[in-house]
Amino acid sequence: MRIPLPRIVYPLICLTWAAVMLYFYQSGRLVRYLAPDFRNFCLIGGLGLGVIGLFVLLTSSEEVDCGHDHSEGDPHDHESNEMHPLTSAVLMLAPLLFALFSTKDGFSALALSRKALYDAPSSKNVFLASALPPLTIEEIEKTHRKSTTGEYEFNLMELYFAIGDPELLKLIDGMKVVTDGRMVAERDNNANGTRKRLYRLFITCCAADARAVPIIAEFGKTPPNVEENSWMKLTGVIRFPMENGARQAVLEVETSEKSDPPWEESFMRQQ
Amino acid sequence: MSGEARQDFAFAFLSILFEGAPFILLGTLISGFIDIYMPPGMMDRFLPKNKNLAVVMAALLGAVFPVCECAVVPVIRRLVRKGLPISCALTYMLAAPIVNPITAFSTWKAFTNTSVLVDGHAYSGSMVMTASRLGLGFAVAVLVGLVVARLPMVWVLRKRLLDELANEKPAPVAVVACDDHHDHSCCGHSHGHDHHHHEHSHHHDHKAPVADNRLVAALRSSLKDFIDVGVYFSIGVSITALFNTGIAPGAAWLDQLANQHIIAPAALMGLAFILSLCSTSDAFIAATLDKFTYGAKLAFLVFGPMFDLKLIFLYQSVMNKKFIAYLAIAVFLLIGVSAIYFQWFLNSAHTP
Repeated sequence: MRIPLPRIVYPLICLTWAAVMLYFYQSGRLVRYLAPDFRNFCLIGGLGLGVIGLFVLLTSSEEVDCGHDHSEGDPHDHESNEMHPLTSAVLMLAPLLFALFSTKDGFSALALSRKALYDAPSSKNVFLASALPPLTIEEIEKTHRKSTTGEYEFNLMELYFAIGDPELLKLIDGMKVVTDGRMVAERDNNANGTRKRLYRLFITCCAADARAVPIIAEFGKTPPNVEENSWMKLTGVIRFPMENGARQAVLEVETSEKSDPPWEESFMRQQ
Repeated sequence: MSGEARQDFAFAFLSILFEGAPFILLGTLISGFIDIYMPPGMMDRFLPKNKNLAVVMAALLGAVFPVCECAVVPVIRRLVRKGLPISCALTYMLAAPIVNPITAFSTWKAFTNTSVLVDGHAYSGSMVMTASRLGLGFAVAVLVGLVVARLPMVWVLRKRLLDELANEKPAPVAVVACDDHHDHSCCGHSHGHDHHHHEHSHHHDHKAPVADNRLVAALRSSLKDFIDVGVYFSIGVSITALFNTGIAPGAAWLDQLANQHIIAPAALMGLAFILSLCSTSDAFIAATLDKFTYGAKLAFLVFGPMFDLKLIFLYQSVMNKKFIAYLAIAVFLLIGVSAIYFQWFLNSAHTP
């Protein structure tokens, strides 16, 4: 008996998609692509595709009764599409495989510049309340660990969104803090070349939705010569001056060192 | 394409694909099982006989069957094949990604801690944006459904689907009882042949279906639909990734349009079209577009789930291209005008 081509090609396409999804989940690389709740969907989706693909492949030689009659002239056979199966395979697999072998699990500086890396911070932001601790200095001290050298550990998002909260801004302006993120070149207002930009991504659902959350790192001298996009831990004094008509978060850096990326490199919606 | 551009495309492409593929699978699984197990005309029985009321009810079905815009296309394609009126199917298709509890919840969360000034009174941004989004989505879907109900199907559906419908047009329950009291509703499907109701010369095979075989048939049908939708999804995601990462030209001018009350909604609808975000998550992006008015954001939140780059490709598996173009223009104008009116209604001095 001759097995129709779709019964072989379709499951193979399906299995390829499943393999890629499950590989990214299993390897941990998926954390850079999706917010946590969507990772579980990806796992379930990958498993589902795998099961269906295998099931259809293993039963490909079986002639089944769909429970109703298909008499002459009925093109509805439940199995084939108007597109040739091999054309479908090329259209579904070519971009996937191209992306699979081209991805570096991150955006280049050029793409990041389109994702608010160099935008002026907003003084109003919807993430403020969920991201920030209660507004007393005691609460700030209670909810932030102190490093061995005496700086409060702030994540970059808190420093960035403090711009939108005058109360918090007032409390932490001039505070010695330590924070980490990826470091890239500072484009604007950097005539002396003493500035860099420290950022992390905020992901709502997937990396394509990501938005950069940046602050300015003012070294006061030539910044350390590290590779673009390196993870850095910076300590210093946080200030919020007006620059070019917008309030900015500027960390006056006292010490800097390369650091390891955290497990969750990006901020996620529920963090 | 440079090395950086390849890297950006690949990262955006995979992230959107990983996000969307499970939802497509869910939609096509439902679709495959509907194909094999659901009797034709069954949806009709849930809807009122009055076609206008049926359209209104169809717009509310998303509250019971919440699906995103990717998953809804294979489902409605199957439902149309199973006898659901095209007006109800299109209404459900446009409304379900918006008028559902998941989208309502995400919109509410995204606009938490914002306020909207209306005539000098401050209202919760969550309440105003969620209610206006669901309300406008519902209204546009119903309006489209009511218009489509008065159009011939040949204007709306793609030819292949029309041919399939012609071949497997469901027999109305009221007229299927043959003179031997042979009720076709028992077999719960169409027969796809020239069926003369008072003759028994047709090849009417009513052998009892085997459950296992139907499962295989359902999964084959699901897989077929997954491939059919997946092809369009792959093309759509590829193009979206090119725009999303700036490899495709043209998006930087958007910010300059933020304060122009008439053009801003159009600009954000254009952005929604290009970004092709899922309706369950797009509110979080809209909320960050702080240079734009609430009216423009509303346009973004209602137009995006109804029309975007990947949906254009998905819609082609159901509707003909000409109708898709007319529908896009109509929906664009309806939502644009509504968003401008919405912004006018709010305190015009208030900038979110």
